[in-house]
Amino acid sequence: MPEAIQFLLPRPEVLARRSIIIDDLCGLLPADCVIHEARELVPFETDAFVSYRRMPLAVVLPRTTSQVAAVMKYCHRNSIPVVPRGAGTSLSGGAIPQEDAVVLGLSRMARIIEIDYANRTATVQAGVTNLSISEAVGIDGFFYAPDPSSQLACTIGGNIGMNSGGAHCLKYGVTTNNLLGVKLVLVDGEVIEIGGKHLDAAGYDLLGLVCGSEGQLGIVTEATVRLIAKPEGARPVLFGFETSEEAGACVADIIASGIIPVAIEFMDKPAIEICEAFAKAGYPLDVGALLIVEVEGSEAEMDAMLENIVGIARRHAVLTVRECQSATEAALIWKGRKSAFGATGRIADYICMDGTVPLSKLSYVLKQTSEIIDRFGLRVANVFHAGDGNMHPLILFNANDPEEAMKAEEAGNEILKLCVDAGGCLTGEHGVGIEKRDLMRHQYTDAELAQQMAVRAAFDEDWILNPSKVFPLEGRG
Amino acid sequence: MQTSFTPEQLEDPHVAESEKILRRCVHCGFCTATCPTYLTLGNELDSPRGRIYLIKDMLENGRAADEQVVTHIDRCLSCLSCVTTCPSGVDYMHLVDHARVHIENTYRRPLADRLVRGLLAAVLPYPARFRTALTLAKFGRPFAPLLKQVKALRPLAAMLDLAPQAAAAPQSSVLRGAQPVLGIRRGRVAILSGCAQSVLDPGINLATVRLLARFGVEVVVPEGEGCCGALVHHMGREDEALGFARRNVDVWMREIDNKGLDAIIITASGCGTTIKDYGHMLRLDPDYAEKAAKVSALASDITEYLTTLDLPRQEPKRLNVAYHSACSMQHGQKITVAPKLLLKNAGFTVRDPAEGHLCCGSAGTYNILQPEISSELKARKVKNIEATKPDVIATGNIGCMTQIGSGTAIPIVHTVELLDWAYGGEKPGKLKG
Amino acid sequence: MLIPNSETDAAYVIRNAAADNKPLSICGADTRGFARLNKPAEPISSRGLSGIVDYDPAEMVMTVKSGTPVSEVEAALAANRQMMAFEPMDHRGILGNKGEPTIGGVFAANVSGPRRLIAGAARDSLLGIRFVNGRGEIIRAGGRVMKNVTGLDLVKLLAGSQGTLGFLTEVTFRVLPVPPMTETIVISGLDDETAAKAMAAAIALPVEISGAAHLPQTVRSRFIDGVLPEGEATVLRLEGLTASVDVRSQKLAAVMGAFGPVGKLGMENSLMLWRQIRDVAPYADGTEKPLWRVSVAPSAGYHLVSALRLEAGIDAFYDWQGGLVWMRMEADPEAELLRRYIRALGGGHATLIRASEAGRPQIPTFEPLPDAIAALSARIKAKLDPAGIFSPGKLG
Repeated sequence: MPEAIQFLLPRPEVLARRSIIIDDLCGLLPADCVIHEARELVPFETDAFVSYRRMPLAVVLPRTTSQVAAVMKYCHRNSIPVVPRGAGTSLSGGAIPQEDAVVLGLSRMARIIEIDYANRTATVQAGVTNLSISEAVGIDGFFYAPDPSSQLACTIGGNIGMNSGGAHCLKYGVTTNNLLGVKLVLVDGEVIEIGGKHLDAAGYDLLGLVCGSEGQLGIVTEATVRLIAKPEGARPVLFGFETSEEAGACVADIIASGIIPVAIEFMDKPAIEICEAFAKAGYPLDVGALLIVEVEGSEAEMDAMLENIVGIARRHAVLTVRECQSATEAALIWKGRKSAFGATGRIADYICMDGTVPLSKLSYVLKQTSEIIDRFGLRVANVFHAGDGNMHPLILFNANDPEEAMKAEEAGNEILKLCVDAGGCLTGEHGVGIEKRDLMRHQYTDAELAQQMAVRAAFDEDWILNPSKVFPLEGRG
Repeated sequence: MQTSFTPEQLEDPHVAESEKILRRCVHCGFCTATCPTYLTLGNELDSPRGRIYLIKDMLENGRAADEQVVTHIDRCLSCLSCVTTCPSGVDYMHLVDHARVHIENTYRRPLADRLVRGLLAAVLPYPARFRTALTLAKFGRPFAPLLKQVKALRPLAAMLDLAPQAAAAPQSSVLRGAQPVLGIRRGRVAILSGCAQSVLDPGINLATVRLLARFGVEVVVPEGEGCCGALVHHMGREDEALGFARRNVDVWMREIDNKGLDAIIITASGCGTTIKDYGHMLRLDPDYAEKAAKVSALASDITEYLTTLDLPRQEPKRLNVAYHSACSMQHGQKITVAPKLLLKNAGFTVRDPAEGHLCCGSAGTYNILQPEISSELKARKVKNIEATKPDVIATGNIGCMTQIGSGTAIPIVHTVELLDWAYGGEKPGKLKG
Repeated sequence: MLIPNSETDAAYVIRNAAADNKPLSICGADTRGFARLNKPAEPISSRGLSGIVDYDPAEMVMTVKSGTPVSEVEAALAANRQMMAFEPMDHRGILGNKGEPTIGGVFAANVSGPRRLIAGAARDSLLGIRFVNGRGEIIRAGGRVMKNVTGLDLVKLLAGSQGTLGFLTEVTFRVLPVPPMTETIVISGLDDETAAKAMAAAIALPVEISGAAHLPQTVRSRFIDGVLPEGEATVLRLEGLTASVDVRSQKLAAVMGAFGPVGKLGMENSLMLWRQIRDVAPYADGTEKPLWRVSVAPSAGYHLVSALRLEAGIDAFYDWQGGLVWMRMEADPEAELLRRYIRALGGGHATLIRASEAGRPQIPTFEPLPDAIAALSARIKAKLDPAGIFSPGKLG
């Protein structure tokens, strides 16, 4: 297994007190909420960034905010690191523990507390999955907009931690744009409420700061999110192109024309083949690249928009245009797209990049990416949110071949640096985690990182919360 | 994901197969979301991904099973919802099968557990013994509350709780030999009598035979067939399971070689999943591999087979049918559309309960061995079904019928009983009066 | 007044001020300077940092120096048929001042208008910033792409921080195409409570409403030269392609008919109406009567107003589906009363936008924070502005 990325050295004083700590935790929580047998800890050693693994000291699965608070208070007082975990679907290693850490899992706080249609809000516990909110309100004509591909499994708490996006964010924004309030357990166990059903909370935008903070500022136990009325109709349309560059240029032109579809998703040939194998959605297999463009509204509106988009696509020598004919077909098209990462497992192991670039650089970065991959002698599948420039090259490799795994990581680092150099950023929606932590210096100056860490310290002076993540280990001061 | 097995370990074909399965998993976690036990218990250890990891750790280290691993594997329903969800195509079914055999071979269960499991394995697959046991259960029922007080004995209490709803049918209703056909003969099939279903509800197969006969299909019940082996297979008792499988393969091969079979019809989807897997289960047995594969290829759920007969469309009946898809039907055999289409075509109004992908908690002997989780799942299932306000519940698996039937006053029947009625048979007894 | 004309200059000035422990009052053109500091401070204005740095209409992203006049930004966008989706209000009318508002001020105060309801606040459009912190260091945060979760979101933290955490030197924000058509459906004669229900019903429809306001009888005639129909006016805005707006407005009108008589305003009047709602035109009255901006849950707005009416002389109208209440007090600001009711109705916040100099000092301009959040906020400020020189006391 590649070991390029380091973790903080475990705190010896914590390791030395392991059995006392476990006894104490068992005293704080009901017995079935504390996991500490070695065998049972193993499955918590990683998340969906499975190349890296660390055993935790213990895992706790509280059922209430006050239990979370009790754990935080205890761990803070005893300087024990805490790694929050939702569904463990992080692609950047955000939920990977460390030997001296207590994993605080929110999977048992999975209740929808209140749905308030008059104010278009849902208040849910942090362990509620993203999709289950939309499922709960769908029958009444509403949905929760951010839709990360892992929405079936990932939790709202995790979404807030990573400021998750998704395919439909082009129109509706990411988590931070749809979050109205949170109940947050601070590092010392104090519980605060930020925001609520009203817009724009008073004081500093703590909600904005907490969103995307990767579990480093506190533990979100409840969230109030914005519900949106479902459009009258939605129609994904498939556009097949000869080359990725052509597809990329078409995306830039669609946006430049002033049309903003709900989603523009991109797949290159390998990705199309992978997704088709799983979902059998009828993606064209004879094209070099595919765009899924979704428009929504009334039939007339969708027709008008599509006419414009098809016109633009024709200018880019589109090979096939396929409008989807039924809701079932539309569902399959999205199922294929949203399962792309997992489905890749059918052919190889992968690491998934998440850099974002300005739209005008999309074609250039795609081209450079394939050059980098070629240079390393690897394979890549590209499947991503093209409308907002959020790229997801999946670098394919064999996890049982340490050398190739190393190469994949190096290639990934080069691609991410390329994104930053093109005016973009390291991560659009998966978070820094451990994966991109050591590249942070490529995007930020020392003073900038120091400023971010200083703000972090206002919440957690002693690096208790998810300490091995986000910020490079050297120079933490 | 990465695995670490030595070349020596991989010489064992079972380990080699599991390694291949594990390599496909990318640890994405999607499976957790549709796992009934994860939704109930909220612990990753009781989710597919957690179990996969536990199994991986156990097999890689060549370790005997221990209490913790056994606890979490035992809690798996083998509903295979995760297999439907998994984008990577992880063959969880065969992985957990392997783990169960490994447990059976390397772990000594506590005495009470051994007794209960031994009892189940010795009774359920054998109709005569099962019938006797059901009669005895009537006398045991008053002791059920007492048994519930002791954790280790709760499975016995669960058994007694389930028994009253399932009074044994008279032996006279058991089918034997070939059944006559009305009109032109369009096909010849064998039907699995199996074990528990023939005792609990022989009407299902009777309805099947009547329906098929009406459409020109000759049905045979070859001498000597019996339990498909699923019950013991899911307990990890592999030798017994393979014994059942070989016996059935022999019986059906005789029939195939003799007068030929177009299909082997199964009316309990739990059995169907297993029989369709005979080819895999016996792949390492040179004497049986080919024959078993042939049998598996012929195995067909009754609804699957009926779709090949082009049954005529019937007048609407104004009867709301909540269709409950058994896990072995939708996840095990991937039959999702056919039963509902058949019912609609036959004139019934079909309702899809919410969370249709979740198990009802029956899962073979699960409702006996894991009564707490099972009853939570039953309550959730019944709530979702009742929300559709159905007149009747239809499903394709006897286990689900017993489980759901014990939690609701709404009548529950086998899909084929409704179809038999719609195509000229009698109204199912449960719908009369 | 300090007016640095480069970022480096600003950093230098601030570094020195920090070393000398000399408070600075950060401003643009001071057109929104309604909050007071608790100690004397020298103004430092961004107006020396002006100009569009980068604007690629095809990417719908603009980068400008913080002191650039809003009017210049709007003109450049209009030339490309684009706009700031959050439609920042202009405070000059209600505050009666004459400066040239800066884009930095818009973001530093997180100023949003009626479209905030669906398009988000200023902070939601803000993609990246450059600022000078209290140590005089130049810090970049965010970038120029929409999706970015690289490190802590200091962009959001600085947005709306009212110049208490840093001196913004450059902002990068997302812009959107100007909708070719705007229409407004007016439902007449609804009391506040019914109007709240009507707005909630409207916004639950799949017609994409981009503005929902209720203008009670007392203010109705003060909008668009009094051409709104008699009685209270509940107004719903639709924007988009002409054909689409036509279809949607028909659908909306059909449903809203159940609440009361329905009319349409047409494009020109719509544009004027929503600009006036944005700028709180009825209370641009040349007075110093206390003016509150209250944000509560949409269903709580009318409860708040009707409760207060029993105890004080107030005039009010509603934006944001009823959740943004503009409230002019006849005499005393009644801050404690108002804030008590807000808490009782499920929370929110009230900002005293206007008050006479005599009434002000006793009243916190911004909603006082619960102790734990106030303490946390103070710690955060200390991390960006260790010497405490930026606009001391401004946020209370």
